[in-house]
Amino acid sequence: MEPIVFGIGITALTGALATVAGSAEDTESNIGSQGDPNSQVQLAPQMGFLHRIFNKAVAGEPPAYGLWCCLGAGLAWAFMAMQINPVLAIVLGCVLATFVQGVYATTAYVGRTASLAKFGQPVYVDILKSMTSVAMAHAFIAIFCTVTLCHLINAALGHPFPLPLLGLIWGIALGAAGSATGNPYYGKERQYQNQKFGAGVPISASGNIVRFAEAGERNSIDNGFFTHKIGGSASGICFGLIVFLELWRTVLFEQVSAGWGAIIVGILMILVFTVIDRYIEVWARKNYGPYSEPKEASS
Amino acid sequence: MSAVAAKPAAGGAMNPTAMAVGVVMVLILLGIGYVVSPMVLTYAPTVSPTFALMALIGVVIGGVLIGFGTHFVPVGGAPAAMGQAPGIATGVAMLAAGAGLAGLFGGAWAAEQGLVVAVVTGGIGGGLMMAITCMMVNFVYVFGMGIPSASGKVANDPITGDSQAEYKSQGTEGHGLPFVSFVGGVIGGLLGGAGGTLIYIELLSLYEETLPGMMQITSAQVMPIAVSAAGMFAVGLFLVNAVLTAYNITGTIEGPHDPKFKRWPRAIVASAVASALCGLVAVLIVVPL
Repeated sequence: MEPIVFGIGITALTGALATVAGSAEDTESNIGSQGDPNSQVQLAPQMGFLHRIFNKAVAGEPPAYGLWCCLGAGLAWAFMAMQINPVLAIVLGCVLATFVQGVYATTAYVGRTASLAKFGQPVYVDILKSMTSVAMAHAFIAIFCTVTLCHLINAALGHPFPLPLLGLIWGIALGAAGSATGNPYYGKERQYQNQKFGAGVPISASGNIVRFAEAGERNSIDNGFFTHKIGGSASGICFGLIVFLELWRTVLFEQVSAGWGAIIVGILMILVFTVIDRYIEVWARKNYGPYSEPKEASS
Repeated sequence: MSAVAAKPAAGGAMNPTAMAVGVVMVLILLGIGYVVSPMVLTYAPTVSPTFALMALIGVVIGGVLIGFGTHFVPVGGAPAAMGQAPGIATGVAMLAAGAGLAGLFGGAWAAEQGLVVAVVTGGIGGGLMMAITCMMVNFVYVFGMGIPSASGKVANDPITGDSQAEYKSQGTEGHGLPFVSFVGGVIGGLLGGAGGTLIYIELLSLYEETLPGMMQITSAQVMPIAVSAAGMFAVGLFLVNAVLTAYNITGTIEGPHDPKFKRWPRAIVASAVASALCGLVAVLIVVPL
């Protein structure tokens, strides 16, 4: 009984860490415009809309977070091999990985923005100074939480993969979950705040992103502040659920029927999420209704 | 020939010659595997002479499963992030890798319980990751942005029969994840997770048998090295096959109902060739040449 209770406790802790990681990851990527909405940040000056939005998208979120989490985990692993306390080792490893993220963010912003020089888009040094540190702070939270949960999975739950490999795997999964869930909210709801609520952005409006705030020009910290409330929270819940449920079904049901218990519970959970998804889809169709008459639309 | 007179780039057309060349290349690579397979007996005298070949075939099957599974994953790329096209707003290879590696994580944990249980566990892990992600995508679209799901490729959802055209907002190709895309995402995660786990298990069993003799150390000492090497090859092969498929579907796909889905035979052959080549490299590191 005691190992199961211990396992459930660790599972709950990893789920909580994953939730914080997912939320921080999405906010960091939105501050840096690293998800798919970066296309609009890059496109805007080409359409004549100069802006002060940070753009460090030279890699997708999953490979970028795969690199940073793998780096943080690898360095922490090396420090632990040098007999350094795991808590200190993880913090040191993540700090060093965050510096790499900072270098990446700086060179990416300068490189991407300089490529727009022919369209008159300036490289703002004040943006570089103020945004990079905020993005690094969020990245540290995301990397630290992910490396810590990987260490718990490895050391406390006994997963066979070494810490750097777990960092790579969960870093890629973190970026995948965060970009999938958080990108639409930043891309549609924030960048195109001037478009109608409750509808997609017409393709003809591409590039005309909102560039002004209540006072002065909008910057990426405003975007992080706005998107973390729904996009960030949803990303956090998404990654938290993935980590928690994956571990929970394994810890509790792996020994049932020689491994088939965890499989059956996994199938049941997939069915539950299928029903929830269908409910959400039908709810939206009933409550929001169609945009046009069926006859007109089908013509 | 002028650009106007040239045939449009038919992304969906199959090239029989290229397919035949691909199949021949797979056979040649498997043939090399057959030749080098008995050489591992130097390090592991107790195993069958075709042990390494079987591992290579397992890697090829796993790679094909990943390549095929990635076609199911509904990915809309950048337009989906603005609600201009249906699908998940990220890259095909990225999302498929995220789901498949989450499956590999579960499958590796269950490796001690046998091949079938581990592969199915890996598949379920990938499917669960995609089910949660797809559900949360629709959650954000509906409750965060007030946008219902609508497909741009079919008039009615093939599974539920729901009409789609009138739920597309003006000037877009659709948005969100219709139910068929959700199901496609889960199937993609299942196949990807199972394929990645199969590659891992096959390479792990090969390394567990051969590395102790090769490095002159005990089985217990070799385990961390075997697990790490097999895990890294599985991750690498996953990315190779997911990226190949991303090229095949030119970056975006709505799911199994998308016309681009019909291009899968081409990706199967390409995945088999790439997996056979990468798998051969993975096998050759334990072959005394």
